[in-house]
This record gives sequence, structure tokens and C-alpha cells, in this order.
Amino acid sequence: MSRKKELEIKGIFVLVVLVFLIFLLVPLARLFLKSFVGDAGLTPDFYGEVLTGRGFLRAFGNSLVISSVSAVVTTLLAFILAYGVHYCNLPGRYKGFISRAAVAPMLLPTITYGFAIIYSFGKQGLITRLFGTQLFDIYGFNGLLLGYVIYTLPVSFLLLSNTMSYIDKKFSVVSRIMGDSPFATFVGTVLRPLLGTLAASFVQCFFLCFTDYGIPASVGGEYEVAATVLYNEMLGSVPNFSRGACVAMLMLIPSVVTIALLHYLEKYNIRYNKISQIEIRRGRIRDTVFGVLSAVILACILSVFAVIFVVPFVDEWPYRIQFTLEHVLGVFADNSLVTVCRNSLVVALLTAALGSLTTYGAALTTARSHLPGGVKQVIENISLITNTIPGMVIGIAYLLIFSGTPLQNTLFLLVICNVIHFFSTPYLMMKSSLTKMNASWETTAMLMGDTWLKTIVRVVTPNAMGTILEVFSYYFVNAMVTVSAVIFIAGARTMVITTKIKELQYYTKFNEVFVLSLLILAVNLAARGVFRGIAAGRQGAKRMVRRPAFRKQKA
Amino acid sequence: MKKNLKKYTCLLTAAAMLTGAALTGCGSGGGSEEVVIYTNADDEAMEAMKHALDANGYEGQYLMQSFGTSELGGKLLAEGTNIEADLVTMSSFYLDSAQEQNSMFQDLTFDAPAMEEYPSFYTPITAQEGAIFVNTEMMAEHQLPMPTCLKDLTNPVYEGLVSVTDIQSSSTAWLLMQALVSAYGEDGAEEVLAGIYKNAGPHIESSGSAPLKKVRAGEVAIGFGLRHQAVADKADGLPIDYIDPMEGNFSLTESVAVVDKGDKSNPLAMEMAECIIKNGREELQQTYPLAIYEGETNDSENLSAYPMIFSEPLTVELLEAHQQISENARVLAEE
Repeated sequence: MSRKKELEIKGIFVLVVLVFLIFLLVPLARLFLKSFVGDAGLTPDFYGEVLTGRGFLRAFGNSLVISSVSAVVTTLLAFILAYGVHYCNLPGRYKGFISRAAVAPMLLPTITYGFAIIYSFGKQGLITRLFGTQLFDIYGFNGLLLGYVIYTLPVSFLLLSNTMSYIDKKFSVVSRIMGDSPFATFVGTVLRPLLGTLAASFVQCFFLCFTDYGIPASVGGEYEVAATVLYNEMLGSVPNFSRGACVAMLMLIPSVVTIALLHYLEKYNIRYNKISQIEIRRGRIRDTVFGVLSAVILACILSVFAVIFVVPFVDEWPYRIQFTLEHVLGVFADNSLVTVCRNSLVVALLTAALGSLTTYGAALTTARSHLPGGVKQVIENISLITNTIPGMVIGIAYLLIFSGTPLQNTLFLLVICNVIHFFSTPYLMMKSSLTKMNASWETTAMLMGDTWLKTIVRVVTPNAMGTILEVFSYYFVNAMVTVSAVIFIAGARTMVITTKIKELQYYTKFNEVFVLSLLILAVNLAARGVFRGIAAGRQGAKRMVRRPAFRKQKA
Repeated sequence: MKKNLKKYTCLLTAAAMLTGAALTGCGSGGGSEEVVIYTNADDEAMEAMKHALDANGYEGQYLMQSFGTSELGGKLLAEGTNIEADLVTMSSFYLDSAQEQNSMFQDLTFDAPAMEEYPSFYTPITAQEGAIFVNTEMMAEHQLPMPTCLKDLTNPVYEGLVSVTDIQSSSTAWLLMQALVSAYGEDGAEEVLAGIYKNAGPHIESSGSAPLKKVRAGEVAIGFGLRHQAVADKADGLPIDYIDPMEGNFSLTESVAVVDKGDKSNPLAMEMAECIIKNGREELQQTYPLAIYEGETNDSENLSAYPMIFSEPLTVELLEAHQQISENARVLAEE
């Protein structure tokens, strides 16, 4: 029987690895090759050229510094927000608001972030006008930090909040009763079980910043970063894929370090037999502090985006600010909009479905199987690599591999590209939730005569449904807002809304860019609403789900 | 539990059904016969090309898709003849590189009597000029003198108020570079450019349209970029004016080329290329006034003051040489 179980999970493992082999490793290997192949055969010259190029090493160092600082700041802020939601007695509605507002930036295309910062904190910005003076210099380190924190906060919050919801809070109570000091309780029952996730959050945020090109392009100023060098080599006025591939390969180096770090932290993962719903202790000071801090953080972030709701509805920000619907009507008069919207929705839904399945399968093999550690490590490494490759690199690698095949210019390729590109965060969420569940369910069920698959479908899946829906929704919104890879692999008949945005940006029609961004925001809000509705509907059924599971356990 | 599994299955089914709908939707359009046109052209140029094609019986027989210059450049180099497009309009020197690397274009089979000589596989649709533009409100607010030439932009009064494009990332900067090299020689150009970079500080942009974006947003007072975009903004009533620099309004052409797909080449593609050149130029000249073909005149009211042509052919090698001047200037600016 145990052999049969291994077979099923092995099957899933092979499937998952196969997908990543074809759609991640082969394209990457192609690029790796490209970085060595010149007109006269194999040569290390391109690396020499890149490394001695003006300011490359400085840019690389800058990238390491700003990405690390941003990742620490983001994780800290996200921790405060998530702690407020899961460990404080804040009003339920306020908690709901925090959860929603913290992920709000994710619902908008990143193209808007740079604009939002300039239109808010720039010389003529909305916030500058309110305060009557420019609060800080937005170009360089400060601007990048602000942009990156906004960009990565949703991911960090999702990871931390997800893990916190699987931590049994009764342990805190026990710790207090045992006479631990509040600090010791905090460290032992909150921080320690979260250590793996805190590190994961840091790593995710770090690489999101490290590989992002849009924010430095808008507000980087004189603080040059590696992603800008990559762009100039790959897609500059004299594109050189070989040198671009070198930069991309060099940008993979930090991931080696993090693979080791995450591996080390793995042992801090803690499983809970069940997650008890408990009354959170009263703590007026704690609640006030976290309530106020959360409000301040969210106010800062949301205020940056306020301007996005103003710009599309005025004639021309900042000099002609009378109300007009001209831009909105202009966008909706475009008859290609229906096609790109439909394509976007199809891509987003399929990405969400296929992505959830892939991450679930991958997480099952790493979190709920007895496969050898080395085998599990394969998936861990894949997950990390997907996060360390800039979108434009994936896009170009796909062109090199899939052009001329039947996959070229298909929606399927867009979907698979998204599934791979955004795999990392949802995988971590999924793994975290599966790891925190009681490890003996499968064994118990098997003793009861259920097959492994039946146990997964009837016990594990229902208990993980909250996370599955969160993952589904994560994939959906990211597929809606992404552009960096998609811009290359979408064909004339498979264009999506964000490629349309890119066109408008190219025509310098920035108002229309905002209109479409708001449209995407609306779609994402609606979609999340629907997913939440489903999750809520499930809450009622939850108790009925749990009981058979525990009954089996007791038996 | 069954209930929520059902819901989950519903979601999946809905997604699957939507794809089905989308895929059949594409199929029933009979899309394979349409000529696919990839272009990096601006809105105005796209409209002009569409008008020319539609007025000559090609309506509904083509699909025009626009890209940014860098994205389309990446696609051309990576995909070669596998590219979806049958017809491409793109900055000319990118077409040169793509042809050199992938030999992907056919020789044109129609006559287009251009005033300059061009390779046999492309012919220009537009010539786009560079110019200085200013935000008039900011000029007044900071009481800045109006610049008349590019060298003026090195004046320290403009510190932090100038935005230009980096020639490493965008060819728009080449228009600036050609003017400087023509007027001051390579060494002189390096020096002037270093002065401009010093004033530009954090506003050395990677995108060709970014300087105009910053001038519009009131982040800087002065920018350098594509002339026709500033002309359009002024006509639109924005507080923007443009200045033709005395060093000259240099230009870059964008051209049309037909992808060589062997037996699979769509014969309509060549016809459409011809149609765009024969019938589209009149409208194109309203936005991009420079004459390119015999018989055209430079009489538009939008004509620039100092139209100039660089003394050497605009090859990728020349661009790389000019990039090096720019890199040197950046080092100089930091000292």
C-alpha cells in the first residue's frame, strides 16, 4: 500500500518537473548557451565585456543593497499588518480592510507605480501640492525604496498572513500560562514558527526588486541597477542577446545563496495537529499600537495611488485639471478593446486554474510525501529560480525556443509563461499551509482503507481550500497585470490588456494608460470579490469537512 | 464538502469553456489569410497607413499590431523569419541589423524613387526629427532663458531641469548625438554632452518618450525628443513649446519591409507595402513633414527650422561609436 502511495506522488512529481523542464530549464539553457556563443564559436568574451562595462559592478552592488533594504522594510511592514490581523483584537471590519488594502497594489499594473510616485511626490504632485513642498527627492534610492516597498508589500503580506492563519494560537496561551515573559512568548510561539516564512518573504521581495525594470526606469535616477543594464544590453538601441544573456546569468548568482539559506531554515517549520480558534487576549495597548501603525502604513500606500483616480478624469495632469470623460470614452471607443479584454480574462482564468493545480501538485510532493530530501530540493530550487528570472528574459528565451513551433503566438504559451513566472509565491503559500497541517492524516486515512488520492481530495484539499483560493486569485490578478514577458510572446491575435497599455505608453497617451489600469483594477476587484464569496460560502461547509477528518484520526 | 468541490470544478469548467470560446472565436475569423503588420510607428503614422490601405481596397485584409521600438527590435532579432508578421515597419537601422543577422526580408518589387539611397529590402515611410521642447509654465516660474541650441543646455541655470534620453537604451538619443557630433566633432560632442548630462542628473531616461513625459508632468523644464510629439502637444493646448536647435534637426527614418517566408509568403504583403508608400505619404507628411521621395515638397507649416542630414550613413557601427562617446561623457559628467 505504501508503495502505491509513493507511485501517485511520484507521478505528480514527474509531471511537475516535466513542465518546468520544458518551459523553464530548456529556455534557460538556451540563454546560457547564448551567453557563450559568438560569431566565432564558444567564447567567454561576452562576460568580459559585461563585467568591464561602465558601472556594471556598481549597478550590481546597488541592486543588492536596495533590494535587501526594500525586502527588510517590506517584510517588517507586512509583519505589522499581518500581526494586526491575526494576533490583535481589532474590529473585524478593520481586519478585513487591512487584508484588502495590503494587497491592493498588486491589483494594478506596475506601469502605474512610477507614474503614481511622480504624480504624487514630484514637483507638481498631488501630495506635494497638499503639503506645499516636496517631501523628499523621488529620484534614486528613496524613490526606488518607495516603489519597491509598494510593489512587494502584497506578496509579503500574503505569505505572512497565510502562514499565521495556520499557526495554532493556543500555543501562545500555553506559553503565557507556563510563565513565559511576553517577549519569550512572542519569540517562541509567533516568531519562531514564522521564521521560515519571514525568510521566504525576504527572499521573494528581494528578487522581485532585483529583477524589476519598470520602477528604476521611472524613478531610479542616477542610482543605476542591474535590471537597467540588462535592459540596455537585451533591448537597448543596439540589442545584443549574448551580452544580455550574460547579465541574466550573473543575476542568477544571488539565488544560489538564498537556496542555501532557505534550506537551512527549513527545519524551523512546525506542524500543528489542528488549528484552534481562540479568543485573542485583550491587550489595549497592543491593539492600539498595531491598529494605528497599520492605518499609517496603509494610508501612506493608498495615498500614492490616490492620484491614479484623479488623472484619467482630468484634461491633462497637472496643468489642466478640469473634469473630463474624454480619455475614458476614447479608450472605450477602441474596438480592439473587446478582443484584448476577452484574451486577458481567458489567460487569467486559465493561468489561475493551471497555476493552482501546478502549485498544489508541487506542494503536495514537498510537504506531504516521504520522497527523499534531495528530490524535494529539486522543486524548492525550481521555485526559487522562477522568481529570480526577470520577465523580459523569460519572454526572449521563449521567443528563441518556441518561435516556429505550433505554440508560437498562442494563448496557451501565455498561460504557461504566467504559471512559470509567478510560481514562486503561490507555491510557498501552498507549501506553508500543507506543512502546517497534521502530518498523519494520510497514514490515518490509509489505515482506514482510503486511497491516498481519496485522502487528498476529501481531507487535505478541503482543509487547504482557503489557500487554494488565495493562490487561484493570486495567479489571476498577476496574469491580469503582467506585461514584461507577455509583451514578447503575445501575437497580433493574442494581445492582452497590458500589451495595449504598453502601446498607449509608447504613443505617450499616459491618461489612457491610467484608464486601462483602472479597468484592470476593477476586473481584479470583481474577481477577488467572487473568489472571496466562494471562500465564504465554503466557511459554512468547513465544519462538516473537518469532522470526518478528526474522527478518522481518533480512530 | 461536495458542494465546494463542485464550486471549484465550476470555476475550472468555466475557464475551460472560455478558452474554447476564445479559440473558436479566433478560428472563425479566418485569420490566416490576413496580412499581419508589426509596426513601431506612432499613432498618427498608424492611422495614415490604415487610411491608405483601407482607401485602396485592403480593408479587413490586414491586422496591424504596434510595439515599442525595443520590443519589436527584440522580436525581429529573436524570431527571424518565424515572426508572425508578414510586413514590418520599423526604425531603419534595426531592419539593417535584423537583415544582417537573420536575412529575413525580401527585396522590394516596386519602385519608390527616394531622394537618398536605401537598401533593396526596405524603403522609408517617415523621417522623424529631433527637437528641444520646454514646459512654458516652468520656464516662467523659474525665470529661465529660452535655449536656442543644444549647447545652451549645458548652462548651469538649467541644473536638474533638463531631461534627455540615454543612447544606450533608445535611438531617440541618436538625434541629439548626430547634432552634437556634426556641430562640434567627436571630442566637442563629448564635452557638450557631459555638460548636458550634468544638468540632467537623474533625468537621463531610458525611454525615448520619457523626457516629454517629464516635461508634461512639470518635473523638468526642458527636454529633448521627437519633434512631432511636442508639436502635437502644443497644438493640443498644453503649456509646451518646441525649439529647433541651431545645431540642426537631424532625423531617423522608419521603413517598411516585407518578411521573406519562402513559399508561405503572403503576396498581399508586398502589395500593401507598395500601397502604403504610394498612397500614405501625403497624410504621413502632415505629421512628419520631411520630404523623402522625388516630387515631395517641404512646404508643411510644421517644417523644422534646421533640417540636416548626418554626413555618414546611419549604420549600427556608427551608433555604437556614438554610444561610446555618450559613455565617455557620462564618466566625464561624474567627475
